[in-house]
Amino acid sequence: MAGTRRRVAALAAAVAALIALVPLPALALRTLHVDALGMRADRTQVRVGEVFHLAIHARVREAVTALDELVIPDVGTMQILGDERHVSSSVNGTDIVETLTLEARQPGTFTFSGAYVDAIDARTGKPSRFTANPVRVVVAGNGAVITGNAGGTTFAVFHPWDVVRLIVGVMLGGTALVVAAALAVMMARTRRPAPLPMPAVVAPPAPPRTPRDAVAAALREYRTAPSHDALMRLRGALFAVAGVGAGATLRDALAARADATLRPALIAAERTAFGPAHARDAASAELIDATEAWLR
Amino acid sequence: MTTSSAPGTGGRPRDVRDALHATIVGQDEVVEALVLSLIAGGHVLLEGAPGVAKTLACRALAAAIAGTFRRVQFTPDLLPSDIVGTRIFDQKTGEFATVLGPLFANVVLADEINRAPAKVQSALLEGMQERRATIGPATHDLPAPFVVLATMNPYDSDGTYPLPLAQLDRFLAKVVVQYPSREEERAIVDRFGAGEPPLRSGVASAADVLRWQGEAHAVFVDAKVRDYAIDLVRATRGAELVAHGASPRAALALVALARARAYLEERTFATPDDVRDLAPSVLRHRISYDDRIAIAGGDPEEVVRRIIASVRAP
Repeated sequence: MAGTRRRVAALAAAVAALIALVPLPALALRTLHVDALGMRADRTQVRVGEVFHLAIHARVREAVTALDELVIPDVGTMQILGDERHVSSSVNGTDIVETLTLEARQPGTFTFSGAYVDAIDARTGKPSRFTANPVRVVVAGNGAVITGNAGGTTFAVFHPWDVVRLIVGVMLGGTALVVAAALAVMMARTRRPAPLPMPAVVAPPAPPRTPRDAVAAALREYRTAPSHDALMRLRGALFAVAGVGAGATLRDALAARADATLRPALIAAERTAFGPAHARDAASAELIDATEAWLR
Repeated sequence: MTTSSAPGTGGRPRDVRDALHATIVGQDEVVEALVLSLIAGGHVLLEGAPGVAKTLACRALAAAIAGTFRRVQFTPDLLPSDIVGTRIFDQKTGEFATVLGPLFANVVLADEINRAPAKVQSALLEGMQERRATIGPATHDLPAPFVVLATMNPYDSDGTYPLPLAQLDRFLAKVVVQYPSREEERAIVDRFGAGEPPLRSGVASAADVLRWQGEAHAVFVDAKVRDYAIDLVRATRGAELVAHGASPRAALALVALARARAYLEERTFATPDDVRDLAPSVLRHRISYDDRIAIAGGDPEEVVRRIIASVRAP
């Protein structure tokens, strides 16, 4: 019996050492300057059935087109209604904002663990986990009101030694538990969370935005991936600025707002949306230029 | 929205439009419908009270394209041979000679088409569709371009032969000619008070028109615009106060007119605005209305407007 315990303890120790020593997964980690990683909810007190947004903001100094390393937190019993990710680059780096639209399904206090990014820290050259602050949301079922933290834009750096200390402590508590915990941690470090299911329902627009913001966001999306849907969203955002909604035509938009700077963008959107394929690239470039001019 | 791909050299459709506007005061919808039907190679039904420049518009159109013009006043005693032509015996040669009727012209005005009996209407409509006419044993091609402009007076319905839906469907568009506004009426008196001014003639040629018709076919119609036209036509079927909706020919007509409008405005592609603007003139005569409209005194134009408003533009 004592021999068995020794063997299990040795195995657990070996697992712990493996976890501590193996560089953060032998996954191909990118080297990144992560300047900020934060998480914030637009509402921290909601009722069952209400919708709120959880925004994760990451800023890296590098110019990247995507940040696949960003792992969003488990949302538990919350229903995901939408998941939008916007990437915008400038000379100072890249901002990645991922907005989850969630619906509270059960009452209680729910804490979202911080989203995280695994990368080689460009400052130290070591594999690190950058973790956002957790966010707590109180879901009231019967009118209960509990205050909560809306989150912030701080970030914490994860050190590999913390894992070692944690696992050694757990080993002292019981061999069987240690083995189970070690295996669980190892699995957690070698396997990414399963991708979130695609939203089943089209989400309402994330945080309230002005028509100008909507145009800017739609233009960013169109520039990043100039798909037909992105084009129609940009056209719709421009129409909204003119004061007309879905189902309106160019003439309606021009009649509603004869703005000298908006007009070229509206016309270019029409040409891009309905013009022949061979002229679409030129029309698309014109649309981007005209929209940028209007935004300025 | 203008593009560098303008219609080719020679007369332009907009020259014809300007020539018509130089003669006719107001009536923008009529003028546009005439020019568009010319480009699209279709025929137009004009409905309006007497004296609102229907005939003048047709003559001005024929003059503008330097084409031949014939007017036929439809009456209850008219015979098919009166419009198509006939064969007469030449006593000098001892043979039959063919005399072509007024249908053999570039622009044919069928005045008060609903006053002639069905067989005359059929002879005309057959010519409109087939673009040829049979006289005796021989079949003759009608000249190209060939456009029939038919008028109807909505007020004097006694002794008329209403055109069946199947025959109305042959008209690309139907335009309701409205009374002019007060300002327009003043301009009419000033312009025509001392007699009819000369028509602007020869701003384009028949060859130009044929070229336009060919080039208009190349105007691009995006799938979303095409689908919008189809949705509008389909919305007429089963709509409130509609007994029978428009046929698939209506969708063809709507797309053809949208192409013609884009060509007239020197664009290389049609837009949802083209389709929406032209939908009333394409749909109004292709719908058979519920009896409740007549009983309740409803307005068929309002029904068409509601149908168009019910379909979301892309």
